[in-house]
Amino acid sequence: MRKIAIYGKGGIGKSTTTQNTVAGLAEMGRKVMVVGCDPKADSTRLLLGGLAQRSVLDTLREEGEDVELGDIRSEGFCSSLCVESGGPEPGVGCAGRGIITSINMLEQLGAYDDAVGLDYVFYDVLGDVVCGGFAMPIREGKAEEIYIVCSGEMMAMYAANNICKGIVKFAKTGVVRLGGLICNSRNVDRERDLIENFAERLGTQMIHFVPRDNDVQRAEINRKTVIEWNPEAPQASEYRTLALAIEANKKLVIPKPLEIEELESILMEFGLFN
Amino acid sequence: MIDEADLLGDGPPASPDLSHCTAATRNACKLCTPLGACLVFRGVRGALPFLHGSQGCSTYIRRYLISHFREPMDIAASNFSEDTAVFGGEKNLLAGMANVTRQYQPEMIGLATTCLSETIGEDMPALVQKCQQNIADLPPVVHVSTASYRGSHMDGFHDAVTALVSQLVTDALPHGAVNLLPGMVSTADLRHLRELAERFGLNVTMLPDYSDTLDGSTWADYEALPSGGTPVAAIRTMSGAQATLELGDSLRGNTKSAASLLETRFGVEKISLTLPVGIQATDEFIAELSRLSGRDIPADITAERGRLIDSMVDAHKIVFGKRAVVFGEADLVIGLTAFLCEIGVQPVLCVCGGKTNHFDVLLRSAVPELPGDTLIRNGADFADITHEARQLTPDLLIGNSKGYGLARELDIPLIRTGFPIHDRIGGQRVLHLGYRGAQALFDDLANTLLARKQQTSTIGYSYL
Repeated sequence: MRKIAIYGKGGIGKSTTTQNTVAGLAEMGRKVMVVGCDPKADSTRLLLGGLAQRSVLDTLREEGEDVELGDIRSEGFCSSLCVESGGPEPGVGCAGRGIITSINMLEQLGAYDDAVGLDYVFYDVLGDVVCGGFAMPIREGKAEEIYIVCSGEMMAMYAANNICKGIVKFAKTGVVRLGGLICNSRNVDRERDLIENFAERLGTQMIHFVPRDNDVQRAEINRKTVIEWNPEAPQASEYRTLALAIEANKKLVIPKPLEIEELESILMEFGLFN
Repeated sequence: MIDEADLLGDGPPASPDLSHCTAATRNACKLCTPLGACLVFRGVRGALPFLHGSQGCSTYIRRYLISHFREPMDIAASNFSEDTAVFGGEKNLLAGMANVTRQYQPEMIGLATTCLSETIGEDMPALVQKCQQNIADLPPVVHVSTASYRGSHMDGFHDAVTALVSQLVTDALPHGAVNLLPGMVSTADLRHLRELAERFGLNVTMLPDYSDTLDGSTWADYEALPSGGTPVAAIRTMSGAQATLELGDSLRGNTKSAASLLETRFGVEKISLTLPVGIQATDEFIAELSRLSGRDIPADITAERGRLIDSMVDAHKIVFGKRAVVFGEADLVIGLTAFLCEIGVQPVLCVCGGKTNHFDVLLRSAVPELPGDTLIRNGADFADITHEARQLTPDLLIGNSKGYGLARELDIPLIRTGFPIHDRIGGQRVLHLGYRGAQALFDDLANTLLARKQQTSTIGYSYL
């Protein structure tokens, strides 16, 4: 079983990219589980066709410890399995502890057991690794491969660099490695060159350049991944290509995060700072 | 390597020298912050301490206080569990507050936070407001922030007193009474302070006052909330007092202390004093009582002072030149150090178990006669104290019963003072304050040295 976590700046398109890629893998016949690690619980909407799903923590709160896997895990597109960790309302309680609680609960309930026959589990984690709870998916060997979604915008690269620092920390004591950057294009000038160069300096690769295409939004309005909404769309094959690249990826590294000066110098070099 | 015994509570200190290891606290010389707050709330009439956090916090503090005071001590808790930690404690707090309001019918609830509720960032003012809106018959709720990783039991104590003053006191007509903030002292001390003030005809509002609630007589029927304590109504009108006597050097320069609040908000004069341990500090305290009351010092108090000085002359040869290690809370350590210097005992090491700002400066300015080579440690644990004490060859230790392991290792006596005293009967009744307290401490110290002399002699002297 490949254990993958997707990180990246808030709003960069982690959930969209994850679900479309998972759709690609599921379409190829892979058994995939997606675990949404975001209190907003919106990581599996496209795979489930917008079905409102009860999160692990809501179920825990309402029914106590007496929870069954069927209560919290739903089947989505092409038999993909979907789980939402959920969490407290904004500004209350501890969302980080929520991630820890729900991953522990999934393990206890046997969601990762061999009998389930998973080929992949994907953790879709909110924004930055702000505290120990949000680092849970990359601790203790839970996720072994990280892909960072970014774009050619400075703050997205800055966040990606920060996440790499977190990976270095946990790579020293565990098995987690960086698998690559996924560029979710924002149509920034020379974006492909920029991210390829950035990836190279981090010691990794740009595993795929996902072009900007309004079909993604059209599919989302229909509560579907692009692959389900229109299998013939050019964007659908972009996600299939990304899925295949991840499936074939052997380049797993401990990244070398950049100093802020070096990060800014890349932007200078590629013409963003005039 | 850290010996496991060193990490566990009050066990005897292990013998290896651990002075190189500073990352961990080994045998802390301080206690949990909310413990101090619970003690204060128990000193308010009809008040129930309530911890917002896990049940273990309440159990630990109850056990610790019960073993010292040997009285029952109920402390409620919002009983955090896994889902409470994730979703926040609102539901539990509302349920818990409603339960205790119904079951205890308290006159006040003292709400202290814990490490867990502080770390997840519980919005206490908003939660208290919600309780007030949703629970009929809810008594006044006073909340205090007591994350135990910030500060010690003494900080929790002082912060709870400040919270009571800050959240309860309102405008009041002048009534001429005197506010007395005694700090964390024994029940015998509280009774003696009140007695002294009353000897001057002063009407005092002492906050807190757990002299009855934690040291009362036997009951025919169980009292869920023991009688005694400072009435909430009396706290509310502390604004009408002529002055506030605030004991303890750690509060002297603190502009956010309870006495400072009363001064800035209501114009009540703040008088900062060293805890009246020994002659000079008691003289200053008595002089203030005399000034505030406009009365001369009663003859019997002067006589008590005279007897104390006479006994010091009598026993000078026994105590003079002995070397002592003093440890505990900042205020008591400063008071005890002053007393030791007065009687000719040399304090070779003075330790504040918590971290008190500028402890060394406070100590040296309160006790100018302290020898320059006396070691002063702030925020030290018993591993640190042990390390220092081994080199200093002291004759005796003065502090709480957590120092027994060290006394045993060094084979020297421990004079039990302060909190906690878990290995003797009457720990809560040890009198430290006033001339009478100094007399008791002095006799205990001198007699301990005499007993020691007998024990270590090969000849059975019965005449010393």
